[in-house]
Amino acid sequence: MASVKDMPILQDGPPPGGFPPVRYARRIPNKGPSAMAIFLAAFGAFSYGMYQVGQGNKIRRALKEEKYAARRAILPVLQAEEDERFVKEWKKYLEYEAEVMKDVPGWKVGENVYNSGKWMPPATGELRPDVW
Amino acid sequence: MASAVDATGNPIPTSAVLTASSKHISTRCLQENVAFLKCKKKDANPEKCLDKGQEVTRCVLGLMKDLHQRCTKEMDAYVGCMYYHTNEFDLCRKEQQAFEKVCPLE
Repeated sequence: MASVKDMPILQDGPPPGGFPPVRYARRIPNKGPSAMAIFLAAFGAFSYGMYQVGQGNKIRRALKEEKYAARRAILPVLQAEEDERFVKEWKKYLEYEAEVMKDVPGWKVGENVYNSGKWMPPATGELRPDVW
Repeated sequence: MASAVDATGNPIPTSAVLTASSKHISTRCLQENVAFLKCKKKDANPEKCLDKGQEVTRCVLGLMKDLHQRCTKEMDAYVGCMYYHTNEFDLCRKEQQAFEKVCPLE
């Protein structure tokens, strides 16, 4: 009677002679750029970048200068036009003030402004018109 | 915007036209501008500097009309580009070169 014990043994095991040896030791190569070389390369890249930043700033400054020069050139025309408009409106306002205050004794019509002697633009009640 | 000139052929001093001719203004209307600014610095009262202001306006409007008559197409192209790019010089270099070739700055 054949039994399981008579069957040939079929095991999973190493090949004859064993496995080849496995390397487990570190082997980090010691070649490549030195520390000084890496530092000089980084420093060189940095200085080249900063030089390019400076060049770019020069170009941007020239563009801004062009824009500001254009504004400086057209400022007097715009101010002159605004002055004409303001003087017209101011005369109308002075007439209106004279008519409103004609019965008030001792009211010096016209310019009732500050005592410093400098001309100040009329106060419209806004403290900082550029903010509001 | 329809064009740089109004019905009678005078250039309208909009921001686009003014910035387009700003380089010409800064050389050719320099005396009037400087006189007006000096007057303003002395006294900020607008009534005191009206005559100098009128000189400035006359100079600039005359200059714009002269430029427009001498180089109509290039100036129209430059002003159109300025209007489109809201007075950004760097985006209108081509039109600027063409304009300054026909109407050179002194």
